[in-house]
Amino acid sequence: MKVNRGKRGQFIIIAVMIVAVMIVSMGVLMHNAITYYKHEPWEEYSALIGDIEINSRKLVELSLASYTNSLEPISIIETNLNKWEKDLVDAYPSRGITLTSSDTTMLSSSNTNAYTATSKAQASFTLDVKSIGLEGYTFNVFTSLTLSIKSITPLESNMIEVIAVVESETGLPIKDLSKTNFKVENATNLAVSAAYDSNNILEYRIIHNGSANSSVEVYDQRGIRVIVNSS
Amino acid sequence: MRLQNLKNKKGQMRVIETILASFIIVAALSFVGIFAVSPTSPAYEVTDLEKMAYSTLHDLDQQGLLAPAVYSHSWSDLRNILRITMPNDVYFNLTVYKVDGSSIYSGSQMLYGDLNTFAEARNVISISYCLVGIPKFNPNGVYDADYDPLILVLEVTRG
Repeated sequence: MKVNRGKRGQFIIIAVMIVAVMIVSMGVLMHNAITYYKHEPWEEYSALIGDIEINSRKLVELSLASYTNSLEPISIIETNLNKWEKDLVDAYPSRGITLTSSDTTMLSSSNTNAYTATSKAQASFTLDVKSIGLEGYTFNVFTSLTLSIKSITPLESNMIEVIAVVESETGLPIKDLSKTNFKVENATNLAVSAAYDSNNILEYRIIHNGSANSSVEVYDQRGIRVIVNSS
Repeated sequence: MRLQNLKNKKGQMRVIETILASFIIVAALSFVGIFAVSPTSPAYEVTDLEKMAYSTLHDLDQQGLLAPAVYSHSWSDLRNILRITMPNDVYFNLTVYKVDGSSIYSGSQMLYGDLNTFAEARNVISISYCLVGIPKFNPNGVYDADYDPLILVLEVTRG
């Protein structure tokens, strides 16, 4: 009686195991099939749109850098964007791309009393890609660089200490700036170090041998320049 | 005792039936699978390669690696970056053009794989990607930030 039960149990166990293996195998196959495209975060055309969006942003930044560095006319942003719109048509001839920019502004201003200066540019874009039926895709670009002088303190041996905060359009401080990114008028000796601050997160301590009224300027990694005239 | 034996035999047959039924189901599914167009089949290959090529360049540009490598003419570095980013069985050929169509660079340093592979491959895709320029620090101590568009043409195939 006992022996018979045992034999029947073995068959059932084998059958259950085979079915279980098959279910697991099917599960894995189905999972792979379903999740295959989840690993590809960009669809074919979203990368094309992303290309245009990223490089439109870069062009606005380039225009601002060009304007603040070489005193190109303020219309440089419109000139560049018009060329970019035309070049996109040539670069993607079969896509039917139309990029239109509007509301472009660019400004570099300094508030002497508040010891702050800002260089900023913005533009709005509308993108049509006829080959995929995309019409009226809009995006805005705003870029800025702000330099704020928090304190100017004369030190011993005719050196001046300037505490400065450099912020991007996000309102967050820009890190990774070094001595080469700063210039102080009439200063031949300059030292720059970054330090954490509880209010401003990151501050730059500039020690120079210029005067307390010297203007301070900074360039960020995008080439955008901003000058604070403290005189 | 006799009744018990009969019961046992019936149980064995059911188990055998279950196993046979399972084999039939698996065989049927395998047969259907032959006709199914799975995501890795050649029917999807062109779209898949195109998407991969776009995503790769877009990814590198977003990370700030693409434009500095192109504008500093670091072709060998760019080839290595592309090799790391793309799967090993994907061959590529990158050419950089100016907007007027003149080629800035097209050489073996930007090629991964054999040229014959591109000639003989059934699915070769080609995509374009535009760059606008990067600021360059000049000896006068200021940045030159001119609009200098370049078009990257990336040919991709599977080896």
